[in-house]
Amino acid sequence: MSDLILRGVAGLLAGPLLGGLTSGLDRILTARLQARQGPPLQQPYYDVVKLLAKELVVVNAWQAFCVYSHLFATVLAVVLFALQADLLLILFTEAVGAVFLVMGAMASTSPYSQIGAHRELLQILVYEPLLFLVAIGIYLETGSFRLTAVFQWPVPLITQLPLLFGVLCLVLVIKLRKSPFDLSAATHAHQELVRGLFTDFSGPLLGLIEIAHWYETVLMLAFCGLFWAGGLLPMTTLALAAVMGVILMDNATARLNWRWLLGYGWLAGMTLSLINLIWHFRGAG
Amino acid sequence: MSIEQRPRRCGGWLERLIQHARVRSPWLLHFDCGSCNGCDIEVLACLTPLYDVERFGIVNVGNPLHADLLLVTGTVNRRNARVLANLYRQMAAPKKVVAIGACGLSGGIFREADNVIGGIDRIIPVDCYVPGCPPRPEAIIDGVMRVLERFGTGHPKEDVAKGKGIP
Amino acid sequence: MRRAVIPFGPQHPVLPEPLQLKLSLKDEVVVEALPALGYVHRGLESLATKRDFHQMVQVCERVCGICSVLHAICYCQGIEEIMGIAVPDRARYLRVIWGELLRLHSHLLWMGLFADSLGFESLFMQLWRIREQVLDIQEATTGNRVISGVIRIGGVCRDIDDAQRGWIQTTLAAVDRAVRQIAPVLREDFTICARTVGKGILSAEKARELGAVGPVLRASGIAQDIRQTGYAAYGELDFNPVIETAGDCHARCMVRLGEIHQSIDLIGQALARLPQGAIRNPVHGKPTGETVMRVEQPRGEVLYYLRADGGKTLARMHIRTPTFANVPVLIDLLPGLGLADVPVVVLSIDPCISCLER
Repeated sequence: MSDLILRGVAGLLAGPLLGGLTSGLDRILTARLQARQGPPLQQPYYDVVKLLAKELVVVNAWQAFCVYSHLFATVLAVVLFALQADLLLILFTEAVGAVFLVMGAMASTSPYSQIGAHRELLQILVYEPLLFLVAIGIYLETGSFRLTAVFQWPVPLITQLPLLFGVLCLVLVIKLRKSPFDLSAATHAHQELVRGLFTDFSGPLLGLIEIAHWYETVLMLAFCGLFWAGGLLPMTTLALAAVMGVILMDNATARLNWRWLLGYGWLAGMTLSLINLIWHFRGAG
Repeated sequence: MSIEQRPRRCGGWLERLIQHARVRSPWLLHFDCGSCNGCDIEVLACLTPLYDVERFGIVNVGNPLHADLLLVTGTVNRRNARVLANLYRQMAAPKKVVAIGACGLSGGIFREADNVIGGIDRIIPVDCYVPGCPPRPEAIIDGVMRVLERFGTGHPKEDVAKGKGIP
Repeated sequence: MRRAVIPFGPQHPVLPEPLQLKLSLKDEVVVEALPALGYVHRGLESLATKRDFHQMVQVCERVCGICSVLHAICYCQGIEEIMGIAVPDRARYLRVIWGELLRLHSHLLWMGLFADSLGFESLFMQLWRIREQVLDIQEATTGNRVISGVIRIGGVCRDIDDAQRGWIQTTLAAVDRAVRQIAPVLREDFTICARTVGKGILSAEKARELGAVGPVLRASGIAQDIRQTGYAAYGELDFNPVIETAGDCHARCMVRLGEIHQSIDLIGQALARLPQGAIRNPVHGKPTGETVMRVEQPRGEVLYYLRADGGKTLARMHIRTPTFANVPVLIDLLPGLGLADVPVVVLSIDPCISCLER
């Protein structure tokens, strides 16, 4: 029992600690790739504290409710992961969180926010099936959706499911809002939708979304780590490698539009997953 | 550096943390209020590798709802006065305004032109004036830093100026 | 999806300047685009009747901070024509050098903003980093980074010495190398091509019909460049207009890329042939008469109409700027495009709103 509580607390802390540091690292690496010095590592914490202390401007009450639900669902997903619960349950919780954010953006009347919300929905449509395919791949390999079984699996999954790991990296690009698929909201507001999805959230609400984003990042990176679940070191190595790849990709590409996301992102992800699954079935059969 | 020299306000640890975060994380909104582009490209140049203001946590957010600092370049005219006042109103407190360039200060070389009302402070309260035509990026960064000091000490004067020039 | 109207601007991160485009969208496709102007209108032409005609050089430079020297050159050439003043040879070459430096930094600036509108932030940063070297030359030779203030009626007020000549050549060689290194990305990168090739196509006939100027016109295959008329010292230098035939955003980018190398080449030629002698002839009396003067700016042809009737101030000044000529093209190109392509196409004409509205 005390073990469970310990794990839960670890999950709760992982978001602000690991997520915030990853975000800071991301900003430094991005700056270095752009020949700049970049902010200090603790910059994301400054940003969030400042946002939380700003004046609260709520466009509409639904917005606040949706942000709280979004935060709650993402935190819950990470805690469930730390408790080594069922993979599908975690994915569903995470999806609920993502949808609440879209609902929050749709609650405002700003056209930027609306179009951002539509694009975010499209992104969810693209990456959720891919995430489930990854989960199915893991199930086929280990014979269970429970994370306890996955953690006890003797061989690193990446040797069996390398293509599915590629698919997961694609999802990571979309989830971390990186080029070429930063359609609904870019990290920096240099796009046609100003800040798209986030346009009408401000102050403390934006701070909460940022914290939720840390949890989301941790969750996605933990998924990446699952592919080499032989202890903390291999997991972190694999997750860091995935983040590096995504940042490199971000700095080497322009933004594509949603047709490309559907046409290429979805198609490529589906094909890769199916090839991997069929190949695996044949191997197993 | 000047930030370190600012007089510390007494207060609990939470208050001090918030002040510290505000000084380290100013998100800026740039509005070209009828400038000739000279100041605008210098503001943009501040973001690029040679000057890189992200070192200080400064990010150009382009959305008044998210911004802490409003950087205004150029003169106010009868059409954009309302836009400027609107942007200022949309920003959440605490907020500061930096007027950049001779035009933003007083109307500059265009002072006598037909459609020019004058400096930014005719419409909204200004916390820092950066002179120059155009000011160098170093001067703009210095102006921003001086405003940040005031996040740590003073009380924000939030009242929108009487707006003599708003049509 | 129902029809949505997006107010694109006046404050928008893609456009550093306040142009407002009211975009009617249907399923993220633009149905109609209406520009709303006037946010930068200062009534600058009216200053011509209030300021001394010598002071107006400084005002003209501030029509637009990115085209500054060329506005001043155009104005001064107009006054010189009215008053019959001959400009010293050295001054004519110096005007070419500063004009081309301006074109160089303006094109690099534009290319950075263009990359930024594509969501390619690292390319934006790299291009602006190269641009700083050009600004270093501007600062060393004129004393200011952006608005130089060296052009005077009758010549120029600063000179370039021999030590600077060598340094400018080596710095520009470095700029040339850096741009050549980055050019393949702009030319061939998959994501950039996906966003620019075939977007906002302007045919040669349409370009003529709508009165396009500058790189927009040349990207549609029409070799028209006001520098060919040989003003300042251009008549004595070798160059050919850079043209492309595709007429899309990619072609416009390629024209400007070609013009960066062309400008570096022209500065090299002008520095090599820089004649000795005075840099400014004295101006006596007051102008009487009227004239029209044209100069090629980074964005295209600018036209000044000047009328003076012997007073200390001019009687009338009118400026037709290149963006004014290119806005009808923009309005023609936008309908039918996806929302994501709007910033790309808007930037591809290199809009300069403060020029447009004066």
